[in-house]
Amino acid sequence: MQVVSIQVAFGFLLASLGLLAPLVLIASRTKRVRAFAIALIVGSNVVGCFVAGLCFWGESKLALSFSRFTPFPFALALDKLSAFFLLLICAVTVPVALFAAAYFDRHYDGQRCKWAWAFSSLFLLSMIVVVTASTGFAFLVGWELMTLVSAGLILMEGDSSERRHNVFVYLLMMHAGAAAVVASFFLFLPYSHSLDFAGIRAAGAVVPAGTRVVIFLLAFVGFGTKAGIIPLHLWLPRAHPIAPSPVSALMSGVMLKTAVYGFVRFAFDFLAGGPSWFGYVVLVAGAVSGLLGVLYAIAEHDLKRLLAYHSVENIGIIYLGLGTSLVFLANHAPVLAALALIAALLHTFNHALFKSLLFLGAGAISNATHTVDLEELGGLQRRMPVTGTAFLIGCCSIVGLPLFNGFISEWLTFRSFLAGSVLMSTKAQIVLPLMVGVLALIGGLAAACFVKVFGVAFLGRPRSREAENAVEAPRLMRGGMTMLAAACLLIGILPGILLRPLASLTQVLIPGAGVPDEIVSIARIIPWIAAIILGVTALTALFRRVQRMAPTWGCGLSQLTSRMQYTSTAFSKPIRFVFSSVYKPDRTLDKLPADDPYFPVSISYRSVRTTSYEKALYRPFVDRILSLAHQLRRLQTGNIQVYLLYIFLTLVALLAFLRFQR
Amino acid sequence: MTTAINVLQALLLILGAPLVTGIVGKIKAAIQRRQGASIWRPYAEIAKLFRKEDLVPPSASWVFRFAPKVLFATAVCAVAFVPVLQPSALLGSRGDFFFLVYLLALGRFFLSLGALDGGSAFGGMGASRDALISTLAEAPFLLGLVAVSIMSAHADIPGIVMWTLQRNVFDISAVHILAFTSLAMVVLAETGRMPVDNPTTHLELTMIHEGMVLEYSGPSLALVEWASAIKLHAMLALLISLFGPWGMASTVSVWGIAAALLLYLAKLTALMILLALVESVVAKLRMYLVPDFLGVASAVSALAVIFTTLVKR
Repeated sequence: MQVVSIQVAFGFLLASLGLLAPLVLIASRTKRVRAFAIALIVGSNVVGCFVAGLCFWGESKLALSFSRFTPFPFALALDKLSAFFLLLICAVTVPVALFAAAYFDRHYDGQRCKWAWAFSSLFLLSMIVVVTASTGFAFLVGWELMTLVSAGLILMEGDSSERRHNVFVYLLMMHAGAAAVVASFFLFLPYSHSLDFAGIRAAGAVVPAGTRVVIFLLAFVGFGTKAGIIPLHLWLPRAHPIAPSPVSALMSGVMLKTAVYGFVRFAFDFLAGGPSWFGYVVLVAGAVSGLLGVLYAIAEHDLKRLLAYHSVENIGIIYLGLGTSLVFLANHAPVLAALALIAALLHTFNHALFKSLLFLGAGAISNATHTVDLEELGGLQRRMPVTGTAFLIGCCSIVGLPLFNGFISEWLTFRSFLAGSVLMSTKAQIVLPLMVGVLALIGGLAAACFVKVFGVAFLGRPRSREAENAVEAPRLMRGGMTMLAAACLLIGILPGILLRPLASLTQVLIPGAGVPDEIVSIARIIPWIAAIILGVTALTALFRRVQRMAPTWGCGLSQLTSRMQYTSTAFSKPIRFVFSSVYKPDRTLDKLPADDPYFPVSISYRSVRTTSYEKALYRPFVDRILSLAHQLRRLQTGNIQVYLLYIFLTLVALLAFLRFQR
Repeated sequence: MTTAINVLQALLLILGAPLVTGIVGKIKAAIQRRQGASIWRPYAEIAKLFRKEDLVPPSASWVFRFAPKVLFATAVCAVAFVPVLQPSALLGSRGDFFFLVYLLALGRFFLSLGALDGGSAFGGMGASRDALISTLAEAPFLLGLVAVSIMSAHADIPGIVMWTLQRNVFDISAVHILAFTSLAMVVLAETGRMPVDNPTTHLELTMIHEGMVLEYSGPSLALVEWASAIKLHAMLALLISLFGPWGMASTVSVWGIAAALLLYLAKLTALMILLALVESVVAKLRMYLVPDFLGVASAVSALAVIFTTLVKR
């Protein structure tokens, strides 16, 4: 009975996102019909949360097959891993959709609004298909649909040539990644004879070692492109900031996680680990992405691009956990592998919550001030108290401070690094504990970055007229952000609710993994710490104190202006100076007139961070392809006789091939 | 009984903290051939500040008023992880050193925000410089602790202390020496002492911590000052318990605790004299030399971690 009702509910989720809501939206002429469709999207995602929750916390399983209607096997299923990611998608979507209900209405006219919603609905459907697919074809259909629909959503806010170029880069890199994913699926075919996941899983044990390596590397590159690990991240800071804020929230918070899902599915479920260098590859990729991601983020003052770079950083932290887990698997330490995998998966969930919260916050800021340039903001906390407080909770979470959810997953990652010292291999004994330092540096830089973000945008004095006249976001936007902020706090203080089911999830993926002790201990201590901190804070509030407004000390000046405050660029200067070898800024200083440099009339200074990847990594590659294309152009003479000759030669070659093959 | 002593040592760390700053100041004065203020002056100062009114800039939000409270609360909470008289602490056996480090980070995060909320250039200057220093100090801090934790195969601080207690003083390895060096350097940076920051300066060009708290007054300032004092005391106590715990009462008895207290005070005094000496002898580093200082600390702590694989455990 329960199985049937879950299937019905899941079918309703798919049908309403895939058919009902888009059709109603496209046909809608009035705002009320549109509101109905939006309610349908939100409602079906709430249903999705319940379905996912039943499978994640409970023991329910679910399988839906559409193979009768499709030319290739197309089936969906929910095991624990899929349920976890379905929960992530649906749980983040509900608040984001509430936010978008207010946001899209204010930013687009009716026509564009309904297309935005219809695309969003399909976007959600595609992500759900990806994480619940149980055949290779279903996975790839969802994967491709996700790329295309999200590209459409990016173009929602206009199609200037720069925007088109960015979307082009996005599509290009996504398809290169998708090609790698397709290849890694097809390499299983000779051993599994079908692409359904059960068959692939069974084949995973018999695939020869060489093919395993190729499959692993292809999956790593393919999913890594989607996840945005450095140096495959090039599309991420281009595509995310130009999308509408709720869409950025979904792309950064949820879409990147489908790549994590895919990688976990391949590395842990299909291949069940591998030699320990698999783990080190992932570990190094994670460390590089984490460090460079946060260093690039700190140099930004465009809030949305800054957040996009932080996605690179957090994906790096997730990959640190995954790599550690693979190292433990290769060293036959299943319990520790489970610990690291739990850390990575929890960080995936946490990142989905706080990153979408922060992107929604950026949306609320741009809604109120029409800019996301930090240098134009300031003093928003007093003008937008609810947005500001929710944003602050997001900042504390992403930095990984205790009592917020980011801390739990980072702590688990730290502990799994520390546990590396008990392994037999000396390499692991050295590398894993040293990673503590790397993650600590990442955390410290993230803290500096978010002090800057919150301090410059929300505190102090407003730096522009727009910021001065900002008003609080409308109710639905506040509601969406508050829900996400509450979720961050809830997981931060009571992590047990997610950790226990995650432990049983990893027991499915990693045979022989018990429940790591760390999971129990953190769930026990955090409430104590929360109690002490709240208690002491309340005690200090007991002092009756007289408060008086007094102007900020101005060094003897009668009045301070907002231009005397530290800016975002000034704040990050020390860190940029110390890490200047990473940025390699391109500085140009023009003084006019040029022949009289000591008494210039005007000075213009420009400092652009050179994206060294483009120069060193992508440029040669692109040049090679272009020159190859030039060579190939000689074949295209435009003469019909030559083309007929080509056809004839091809035919002869094929016949000869067939003749000699036997 | 154990819990009672745990509470007692936490109170010792919290209530004795201003005395530590007072004594360090007195020793520094003695080294510089000055008479110096009374060692009890920090108490009088905090009491005076608590009686004064709180001045709040007109641009400030609740974050400004909230920050000192959070800073104080996290410092108090961090104290609950540090063993002093016996190898146990209030939260010590439940949590590990990561909590200690990150609780301090939470307080610092809010203090930096409070500094930016004042809307003056000095707050931003202090917060920006502090961000650099604390960013770079975090890695050696954790790596130093990781090294001793690997040696003892314990992640909780009382566990590490217990392990060290069972060793002989002369058994300490290179790992401990390296870890102590890096942690001692980190303590100087974290608590804003010379040569990283000058706690007595009020010159715009040089102040870091003082720049951040410039806008605070009255009870808020009292909480900030007290919290920094607690942080200093807790860090010194941490160094003592990790690298020289001998003399702690491993079994609970009145005489044992009394002896442990006396020994602790002796070790603390030694450390305070060392700190005062360093502060009097060493000149403050130029701002952009601080990363080199912390880089050395990082390298030393990384070496400590690497050496754990070589040393017989």
